[in-house]
Amino acid sequence: MLTTGRTGRSLYWGLAPVLGPLQPLVDMLTSPLFLQIVLFPGLTSIAIIGALLGWLERKVTARVQLRIGPLYASPAGGILQMFADLIKLAFKELIVPENSDAFFFIMAPTTGLVLGAALVGLIPFAPGLQIANIEVGLPAFLAIITLSPTLILLAGWSANSKFPFIGGLRALFQQTAYEIPLWLSALGVIMMAGTMNLAQIVAAQSTGWFIIPQALGAFIFLVTSVAEMERLPFDLPEAESEIMMGWQAEYPGVLFLAAQGPGFVKLYAFSALFTTIFLGGFLGPSFLPPLFWMLSKTLTVIVLIMLLRSTFPRVRLDQLLRAGWTTLLTLAIINIGITYILVVGLPTL
Amino acid sequence: MVAQGIPEIGAYIAFLFVSTVALVIVLRLFITPKDPRPTPEKKKPFESGQIAAGPGRTRFIIQYYPYLLMFVVYDVVAMFLFAWGLNLRALGASGSVPVLVFIVVLLIPLGYALHLANHRENW
Repeated sequence: MLTTGRTGRSLYWGLAPVLGPLQPLVDMLTSPLFLQIVLFPGLTSIAIIGALLGWLERKVTARVQLRIGPLYASPAGGILQMFADLIKLAFKELIVPENSDAFFFIMAPTTGLVLGAALVGLIPFAPGLQIANIEVGLPAFLAIITLSPTLILLAGWSANSKFPFIGGLRALFQQTAYEIPLWLSALGVIMMAGTMNLAQIVAAQSTGWFIIPQALGAFIFLVTSVAEMERLPFDLPEAESEIMMGWQAEYPGVLFLAAQGPGFVKLYAFSALFTTIFLGGFLGPSFLPPLFWMLSKTLTVIVLIMLLRSTFPRVRLDQLLRAGWTTLLTLAIINIGITYILVVGLPTL
Repeated sequence: MVAQGIPEIGAYIAFLFVSTVALVIVLRLFITPKDPRPTPEKKKPFESGQIAAGPGRTRFIIQYYPYLLMFVVYDVVAMFLFAWGLNLRALGASGSVPVLVFIVVLLIPLGYALHLANHRENW
């Protein structure tokens, strides 16, 4: 029922032929799931946080390099710089290079943006504040992210240009180096928690965060997730100074935005996942809401990864492949051995 | 509860996909400018100002091919370990013996394959 009271009732009966068929639509638009999908942690918040992370990255890098960074588009410290860039890029011409596969050229970065945003839907931000509480949440997250090098290769192939194609192939080879250590470091968490559900993994950390028994696993996860996000020091597919942005070289205007955007969305999603499986997620002292703890821990991880970007030089592809297949894989197997001893040898932990 | 959350994530991804594609189409149709008479140079691939030469889709990097082969095998093997890791507390030490044998047996050819793959001059 929409209203009560005399005038309200007459208004309702007057509008009934209109509102009656629309009632399911109104119910859907006000349901918790729809609000979560559209507002938080869904689409709108992801877009705003992604733009703010672009600003934060420029500011952090500038601070490390003793510069000032974005300053003018502001109420405070150039915080609206990325929104100004968004508007500028939207009004640029879309040039599709000749002999390219236009459909895949446009759809590959767009789908990458969708996949990056889909990751956020698996993360529990607070008790009940989670779009999809999947039973296999952790492997589902890693499985969705596995598709992204394929999309990069598709983008590089469809552009029919040399540097994008080299960047796409680099993404493919790079995936072979980090993928298995990434999954094996997540396996340590699953062995400790005895579940793959992200909300239950958070609940299992109420006696202690997993970063203490899983310190080695957390280190491997951080390194491999930076490689997965293709950020410095592992940004081989888009190395600006060697292959001039790699697979993004041919993207104009708003498509360049769609190609750059997944980087920041994946940074947000991976930091939230790291917080969830190693840093106790939304757990924390109860004088502040769980969402505050979740977001502040996530922001800490994000700033740590941004500092890696401005601190380390880029590695070569053969160095990355060799390190991934020997050092990181060996460490991941050692981590599984340690976790096995912890779980089977000390069952009370 | 295997299907728990699957409709929600499906609806979420579908919503994201439709809204993103709609945004791109709206931008393409109504906002981005169009050049009625593009010059031929504008459509050429970008090669740092040089005139593009040769095919765009070149052959590239065969020397890392063994890593791809190893990835195809060992990525699947790593997935098997998840079924074991999930039930580790129930299996205990005695139930884990076959898995540990499985890991050790697979590590020996992995070491040999790495030895071959790291000698890139052979490929």
